[in-house]
Amino acid sequence: MIVQRAIEAAGIPTIIIAALPPVVRQNGTPRAVAPRVPMGANAGAPHDKEMQTAIVKAALEELLKISSAGQIVPLPYEYTAKV
Amino acid sequence: MSITAIKGLQSEIFVPVTPPPVWTPATKPLKDAVVAIATAAGVHLKTDKRFNLAGDFSFRKIPGDVKGEELMVSHGGYDNGDVNKDINCMFPIERLQEIAKEGFIKAVAPTHIGFMGGGGDQDKFTHETGPEIAKILKDEGVDYALLTAG
Repeated sequence: MIVQRAIEAAGIPTIIIAALPPVVRQNGTPRAVAPRVPMGANAGAPHDKEMQTAIVKAALEELLKISSAGQIVPLPYEYTAKV
Repeated sequence: MSITAIKGLQSEIFVPVTPPPVWTPATKPLKDAVVAIATAAGVHLKTDKRFNLAGDFSFRKIPGDVKGEELMVSHGGYDNGDVNKDINCMFPIERLQEIAKEGFIKAVAPTHIGFMGGGGDQDKFTHETGPEIAKILKDEGVDYALLTAG
């Protein structure tokens, strides 16, 4: 989050794909999306190209849509790791 | 009337404080944008130096035309099971390359960044690592940065 904020502060708009929305909120994210994924598979299930592409595209679309700092948009993609 | 009974009184319990907002408006359409990934997931080239799992504020550069199989993770703070199977779980560079090819974005940035988040020297991250990473992306004409962490 520190790094996201530093990039944003340098003039590059940023968005983070977060598995732990409360953590990124606490740390002052400028913009975030939160798919229903475990930490470690933030961009989607392993080898699930379709889900990963959808999450990346949705994250970039939300980057343009989010209108003010600190918003976290839930994404309708779900993956549960088999541990 | 002041509601402060004793000035300068502090909690003995550490209370995280949310920093003030930072914001750069995003105006460029995606089809005209150069996009970089920066991840806190400890991703780096297999040929590069591993992160110190006990805490590491350094970062690694990753070229935009990299293949997933050339990358690995060294990070002690989360379950690496999924990302070891498929690096795109935390560093979706191959998905970014594909959507650049189809024209969804203009281009994949020449340089992407891996570092080890979730700990380390927060002061160094704030005052050195963060600004250094930002400068690399800025100098290379990156329009938007996509991060994974948390």
